[in-house]
Amino acid sequence: MVKKTSFLRKALFFLLVLSIVLFSIFPFIQMISISLKYPAEWGDPSLIPKNINLEAYKELLNIGQETKNVPESVLTLLEETPDLSEEQREAILSKYRSTGDVFPFLRYFLNSFLLSFFAALVTVIFAIFGAYSFSRLRFPGRSVVQRGVLFVYMFGGILLLIPLYRMFVSFGWISIPQGAFVSLMIIYIVQTLPVSLYMLGNYFRTIPFSIEEAALIEGASRFGTIWRIIIPLSSAAIGTVFIYCFMIAWNEYLFASVFLKNYTELYTLPMGLKALFTSKNAIWDRIMAASVLTATPVILLFMSIQKNLAGGLTEGGVKE
Amino acid sequence: MFAQRMSLQEREKVLGLVLVTPAVAIILSLILYPIIYNLYLSFFDVNPMAGNTYVGLENHRNVVTDPTFWKSVFTTIVYVFSTTIGTTLMGLLVALAMNRKFPFRGVVRSLVLFPYVAPVISVVFSWQFFFDPVNGIFMDLAYDKLGLFSSRFNLIGSPSTAVWVAIAFSIWKNFPFSYLMILARLQAIDETLYEAAEIDGASGWHKFRFITFPEVYFVMGAIILLRVIWNFNKFEEVFLLTENVRVLSVYTYYKAFVGTMELGQGASLAVIQFILLIVFILFYVKRVLKW
Repeated sequence: MVKKTSFLRKALFFLLVLSIVLFSIFPFIQMISISLKYPAEWGDPSLIPKNINLEAYKELLNIGQETKNVPESVLTLLEETPDLSEEQREAILSKYRSTGDVFPFLRYFLNSFLLSFFAALVTVIFAIFGAYSFSRLRFPGRSVVQRGVLFVYMFGGILLLIPLYRMFVSFGWISIPQGAFVSLMIIYIVQTLPVSLYMLGNYFRTIPFSIEEAALIEGASRFGTIWRIIIPLSSAAIGTVFIYCFMIAWNEYLFASVFLKNYTELYTLPMGLKALFTSKNAIWDRIMAASVLTATPVILLFMSIQKNLAGGLTEGGVKE
Repeated sequence: MFAQRMSLQEREKVLGLVLVTPAVAIILSLILYPIIYNLYLSFFDVNPMAGNTYVGLENHRNVVTDPTFWKSVFTTIVYVFSTTIGTTLMGLLVALAMNRKFPFRGVVRSLVLFPYVAPVISVVFSWQFFFDPVNGIFMDLAYDKLGLFSSRFNLIGSPSTAVWVAIAFSIWKNFPFSYLMILARLQAIDETLYEAAEIDGASGWHKFRFITFPEVYFVMGAIILLRVIWNFNKFEEVFLLTENVRVLSVYTYYKAFVGTMELGQGASLAVIQFILLIVFILFYVKRVLKW
């Protein structure tokens, strides 16, 4: 009797865990499935594609697109006349190369990467010095700075959007593409700096001061101790903060949509995907392939820091 | 000797200020100043290309006399209330399950975090596809297999049903955060409490009600507060999934940046939204967290 109920309990528990996992990852499975299906199969609720279609990925990553729209007859003609020079071949092929409807996924990917990478880099540098300062040095107003940093939790992006937009317009930065790009980078730095300061500050406090003290007595300068002791000892925490900042910038849509509105060539991935979906090229396999390619780097980065980040999260260190 | 120590302290003070200044300057000039500037702008008719004209309280009056504003306040309340309850309960359930030992627990624990870390833009299309009237699995199940509806239709298409999709999406996206916080608290509970209760013959429900629940009460109180603050200001998770659900952030975005850019009214909306949030927080902190 006892055995029977405990078996039933186990089965129910197993079912619960299974449904939790399915609930969490179903959209990801569906995304991969549709990105690999041919259009005829989209309506089929089965998640396993009967035939694998890699066309969407090839198109997004620009693999083998050179001769895609060229008619057969022209291709055979080119093959049968070997005495054409490279330039002539190129000239013939370029007539058929479509330019308008190809989704420049790689460019958006690069834009997003540059923006996120440099924003995260600058944030981490400012945060290391700032956090060191208020976790180690005594100066007037220290506690105000420390608490004020978390005050930012209260403000959503929408509250800052209008004044920041108005400010950057009056600097004249929005009217040139480079200016708009740099403005956006500055905004990402500002948005991630407070939480980075808080997280690094908490971490620096766990490093025993005696290590630094020894170095200081030996005659090292404060900058020397930061460079030779603090940074190497907290490299895991710094990496985590960097990836956190990177992910925030990589995911951001609101500010990007306002600041980069007029510069199609500067679109970030979220903007590009949204534009692709609203345009007539909205084809599910391409959309899903683009989704998979956008999510993958973030999920990989996350897996690499999972342990540290989970710790940081539970200390209340992450703002959305 | 004494003089030197003084100068050492002085030097430390100066260095501290020097190191913290860039970070503080950035926060002051690009967060604190814009908030005040936003308040200022809400009294003006703002034209980005020309200047601002002072209009007094006209923006605020225009905003609160517009019935669509009140509709959007109502939508926001429904959205925030349902998502907060949903994410917290879901987080609690998952945390209780993950706190037990079972095979592959490590893998399961990281899979469960996927919704929280994936970029919003990369998951909204999968959700849209799920509810797509022609190809989606939802309609296939609800219409073809179960016959719940009289025809296939787009659940995300109309505002009254889209809000529920947005709520479900938000719960799915954010429950891992609540789960992590609650799990951390659960792991800190002393095992001997449960052993003692078992000896006294307590049932599973009693153990939850009298040991687990009191231990996680304050963590849940805190994550509910954070969730309300975050979801009240939420923009991307709603706007990218469906443009039909006009919560306050989306409403403000449309007012300020789509069509005739009413930046002044947008600023005034942002101020009102902020005041609503502050009022709620004060009430909540006093009543629920009893600070």
